Amino acid sequence: MSSPARFENFGYRYPETDGLALSGLSLELGSGLTLLGGVSGSGKTTFLRSLNGLVPHFHGGQATGRAWILGHDLRTATTRRLAREVAMVFQEPESQFVLDRVRREVAFGPENLGLPPSTIADRVDEALQAMEVSALAERQISTLSGGQRQRVALAGALAMRPSLLALDEPTSQLDDSGARALQAACERLAAGGLAVVVAEHRPWRVESAGSRRLELDRGRLVPLSQAGWSPAALPPRSPRPPGATAWELTDVTIGHGEPIASGINLACAAGEVVCLTGPNGSGKTTLLRTASGLRPPLSGRVVRRSGRAAYLPQEPGGVLHQATVLDEVQQTIRWLKLDSQPGPILAEFQLSGLAGRDPRDLSTGQRQRAALAAVLVGRPDLVFLDEPTRGADPGSRALLIRVLERLASQGAAVLIATSDTDLAHQIGDRVYELRQGRLRELVPATA
Amino acid sequence: MNPRAVTVWVGAVLVVSLAGQDPIYRALALGAAVAVLVARHRAGTRLRPALLAVAAAASLTVLLNFGLSHTGQDVAVRLPGWIPALGGPLTLEGAIYGVDIGLGLAACVIAGISLSLVVEAHQLVDALPAWLSRTGAALGAAMSLVPRLGHSFLAVREAQQMRGWRPRGLRSWSAVVVPSVLTTIEGSVLLAEAMEARAFGSGTRTALASSRWRAADLIVVLTAVVALLGFLASLALGQVASWQPYPSPGVPGVNPWPVICCLALFTPAALR
Repeated sequence: MSSPARFENFGYRYPETDGLALSGLSLELGSGLTLLGGVSGSGKTTFLRSLNGLVPHFHGGQATGRAWILGHDLRTATTRRLAREVAMVFQEPESQFVLDRVRREVAFGPENLGLPPSTIADRVDEALQAMEVSALAERQISTLSGGQRQRVALAGALAMRPSLLALDEPTSQLDDSGARALQAACERLAAGGLAVVVAEHRPWRVESAGSRRLELDRGRLVPLSQAGWSPAALPPRSPRPPGATAWELTDVTIGHGEPIASGINLACAAGEVVCLTGPNGSGKTTLLRTASGLRPPLSGRVVRRSGRAAYLPQEPGGVLHQATVLDEVQQTIRWLKLDSQPGPILAEFQLSGLAGRDPRDLSTGQRQRAALAAVLVGRPDLVFLDEPTRGADPGSRALLIRVLERLASQGAAVLIATSDTDLAHQIGDRVYELRQGRLRELVPATA
Repeated sequence: MNPRAVTVWVGAVLVVSLAGQDPIYRALALGAAVAVLVARHRAGTRLRPALLAVAAAASLTVLLNFGLSHTGQDVAVRLPGWIPALGGPLTLEGAIYGVDIGLGLAACVIAGISLSLVVEAHQLVDALPAWLSRTGAALGAAMSLVPRLGHSFLAVREAQQMRGWRPRGLRSWSAVVVPSVLTTIEGSVLLAEAMEARAFGSGTRTALASSRWRAADLIVVLTAVVALLGFLASLALGQVASWQPYPSPGVPGVNPWPVICCLALFTPAALR
């Protein structure tokens, strides 16, 4: 049997760009689980897109060398043809939904395969169960949290029962239970002889015995680096002395009409970092938005001291609309009439070299950094970040931690909603978990 | 409601709104469209933005016709001739004709909106015959773009406000509108890519479920067809008078049969 994918000196350039996104790629993908590592912008997403022919057939551009996917020559096999055997989950699951209800969305792929309705129903049920979202089957997708959407997108791919499964940052918004469910599904598929390729910045969350590792750098296959394949050890952190209370929630109930969580008492002092974790759909984003003043509580009291608030939404695309990254940061400076320059924050997020680029042309991880730079420029007093490490490689996470340490030391009160529990324990002075409508503290204050 | 029944009803409203120019019948068709939308919209959908947008578009139609037609006997105001396009007599007839067009426009748009606010995207996809299944899936995806644009607008406005943006005049809104549209367009490209990657268009499509008919759906279809045919017959028999506001507005003619046909369009609002 031929290997699921074979590349011979394969290269690819996106239209209207100078650099090669992939270059001189020669490799053979075996069945089983393959993990794809590399920093943001290294070409992981482009490589995954070549597995189902989106690169080059959908995007255009110029491909060189040869590639065979499941025995099909990539030069002639269209995405439509390959998609019947290759399933892919994109980095931003919210942008790939076609229909409005979870069950129907998961059925979309099998429906395109022309399967009988009873077979579709069985596959949908099985996939929903595998990703532990059966309870959401009749929900409208617009009502789901980011993590729940990611699970639904994964279920949609599993329901197609592909021969090759390509997953782009599949755990970026998943809680630990979601990551475990995905890991089990990948293991099951790999054991069944299927090829599963996962590009992931936290590969240990999906890695299993027998899995293979590949690493890309600037579009080329490179020897494996030491960093990035296992969780970084937590550096010792000295406790930060908290200042005056910056905001406080007293006996608050949060929700969208219907309560999601109640009896919430939470405060954050100047110079303190508070992290909010919890299962997908538990209400982390709603609580963050309530604390930031973007959403009123259903009941209870929210008090915030005056000062500049910086807010990063879960989907950073809403922040980025200027022609360049530099313009984006300058826009915040102009609007807020800040006495700051864009240079330092761009340097802190290692974006100086990308300052002249259009933010929409960047990789997801780079865009996330650009959005962070745009909202965190200057010295905000209150910081509210929703899933700030989404799509972030270990280097970007380290940069973010450094910036947040600086902001806290300058007296900012920081609240982070995240499914990245490693980040929460690394940076948080206090870490809370929101689960089943209740908020509880996981780590006592270090002060 | 069965999407096929809703589609037949929408078709009837469109024909009644566009077939004649009598503002009375157009107003009745608009009333039916609003009543059905209010009575049958899905839980969780927001009517206010859509209704406000339609009201704004209809008002603009009135203003445009009033400002640009320059036809009619009753001059309300006369603007200097050197003003481009607007210069000259602005007439009462122009305003009345604008109201007539606005009523027809509003009835058509609100009836059309009902397709996405009363019926879910997947129901519409299911309702289409097999040979239109690809079109249906594309239509379903297109329908999801409207709420996506709304969601994008709210998210961008919120994010920009937190970055210090404040609405100051019409031009300042470009900071919200431009990224909202860009985000939606970018989302559309990603969606097309995702659909391709999920084997859309790779062969014959099947459906997990097909749409079901209830007695109420049949009543809606029956009354819509009767209303449609009755109105067209009235038109053919000269019972729907050819009303024109120019050169001077007369009282629109009212005949019981077309009125009954228009009232039949309220049926979906009355059914449970």
